[in-house]
Amino acid sequence: MQKEFAFFPGCVLTQAAIESKMSIEAIAPILGIKLREITGWSCCGASQAQGVDPIATLVANARNLALAEKLNLPVLTTCSTCLLMLRRAKAELDGGEKERINTFLAKGDMNYKGTSEVTSLLWVLAQNIEEIKAKVKKPLSNLKVAVFYGCHSVRPEKDLGFESSVNPTSFETVVKALGAHVVPFEKRLNCCGFHAVYPAEKSAMKMTSGIVNSAAESKADCVVTPCPLCQMQLDIYQDDAQDTTKSKARVPVLHLSQLVGLALGIPAKKLGLDYNVIDASKLG
Amino acid sequence: MKFIIDRFDGKKNYQQTYTLEKKDIEALTLLGTLLLIKQKQDITLNFTASCRMAICGACGVRVNGHAYLGCDTKMTELFEEYKDADTFRISPLANYTVLSDLVVDWEPAIENLRKIKPGLVAKDSFSEKEGCVQNQKEYDRIVKQWDCILCGVCASECNKLTADRSDYAEPFVFTQAWRLANDSRTKDPMINTKAAVKNGLWNCVHCHECTNRCPKHISAANDIAGLTVLALKKGLNSGLGPAHAKAFHTDLVEGSGRLNEIYLALRTEGVSTVARTGMAITLMRAGKMNPLEIFGGHTIEGHKDLVKMIEAAKAATKE
Repeated sequence: MQKEFAFFPGCVLTQAAIESKMSIEAIAPILGIKLREITGWSCCGASQAQGVDPIATLVANARNLALAEKLNLPVLTTCSTCLLMLRRAKAELDGGEKERINTFLAKGDMNYKGTSEVTSLLWVLAQNIEEIKAKVKKPLSNLKVAVFYGCHSVRPEKDLGFESSVNPTSFETVVKALGAHVVPFEKRLNCCGFHAVYPAEKSAMKMTSGIVNSAAESKADCVVTPCPLCQMQLDIYQDDAQDTTKSKARVPVLHLSQLVGLALGIPAKKLGLDYNVIDASKLG
Repeated sequence: MKFIIDRFDGKKNYQQTYTLEKKDIEALTLLGTLLLIKQKQDITLNFTASCRMAICGACGVRVNGHAYLGCDTKMTELFEEYKDADTFRISPLANYTVLSDLVVDWEPAIENLRKIKPGLVAKDSFSEKEGCVQNQKEYDRIVKQWDCILCGVCASECNKLTADRSDYAEPFVFTQAWRLANDSRTKDPMINTKAAVKNGLWNCVHCHECTNRCPKHISAANDIAGLTVLALKKGLNSGLGPAHAKAFHTDLVEGSGRLNEIYLALRTEGVSTVARTGMAITLMRAGKMNPLEIFGGHTIEGHKDLVKMIEAAKAATKE
């Protein structure tokens, strides 16, 4: 198991999903993972700035990757959109843009080499199942979980490349290793609508509501997602979304790191469960 | 192996199961398998197909809820993709109205294609005598998008269309708009860009299903981003979509270097609107956001250098 990573939290972990950061930092030492936060990391563009100024976001992500290279470590993030943006930037740089972009990085005495791979918390956990099983203190055998991948955990497959995007299994494997029961969940690969919640609010709310209702129909105790943006959309906007479709169903939405933390026996408070907007306290 | 096929006879929907031996289909394509069912088991099964070589785009169908071009998909690929599966569910493309079994109505999608003005309006400098000559580099820029065969696979999987078709067009419509806007022979790229904006360009949910499923490996999502860049450059910046996207860029370059979620609400919707500004306040009350961030948050280490890098890139791009 790779033990040490250059940690790229992404903007959402500093504010609206601080409980994701808390729980990752709580589980990492128990799993023997050392996270070294990249000093001076910037926003990855979040798939939004890319539609305004693609060269600026490529430069910003080349800089982010170059900062990780200084630590001589692979990059780890839990935000799926950060994962996709960083991996796409790396592919573009390694595919021929490196030299040109380095002339711009030189203005800040930096240089991108291409030595740091980019991975996600989910992938690292999935690659180390036996070690995780060995660390489980409180198997989640009474918990029925709806696993929600989130678009940028699996799509586009050519940019992510970890597993099949139509039939992925990594997430189920990890959740089962924690002792939880994975329920059949029709919308596990759907989009939560987060990236268009401003311009296409009605559609985004319909998408969010559909996912929550699908989880409720599966009798899930909670939805779990590796992506803090999906978590934010499904949790913070859940009341609004359910009001829009006049649905009474409410389902707590956990970060992957929170679920792992529960199985490792970490107290709910340390995992930030009280920050979840839809009450998740009974899960702790 | 079992194939459960969604059927529609014009009045009622039902599923019909066909059983085939794996050895009889493992050398076939998905379309070949459908043809085998039709020829050997059920002449009434309806689907569309023509060229059998991924040119005509007629044979798109869904397998286990994901769209494929039938003639371009080997059964062995499906066996590999859906490991251990002994049953496949075959359905018509989603986000289209079903006419019969696996046959869908293309008229509304073609109407949407018409809206982005799909005929090239050539520059005045071109003449009938001289033609509309393009050099290799100019041609190469758009050659990928020329591969689009209008199979509808991208549209079938688009999460935005599933939520609401009324304010969005099929992803391939935006790919066609991008190609026309970036064709060196066009009189004005805004002919298609403006039309794309008018037909929901900013409503893309970034789910990347279109990128993922296209049998020609075209990314309609990238073409959508390319069109938003073009639209903003030309001053088409009204509405929540442009304001939202620009807020990320502003925070990166002019702000702290990281997204400020309080500013995001304010910059997108303005101080007079309440919906998500209220959400930001809810988050602050929940203790998830620091109200001091409203003063701009902490600027990242090395931000001045980041700005210098971006400025250098922009200056070089302009040259």
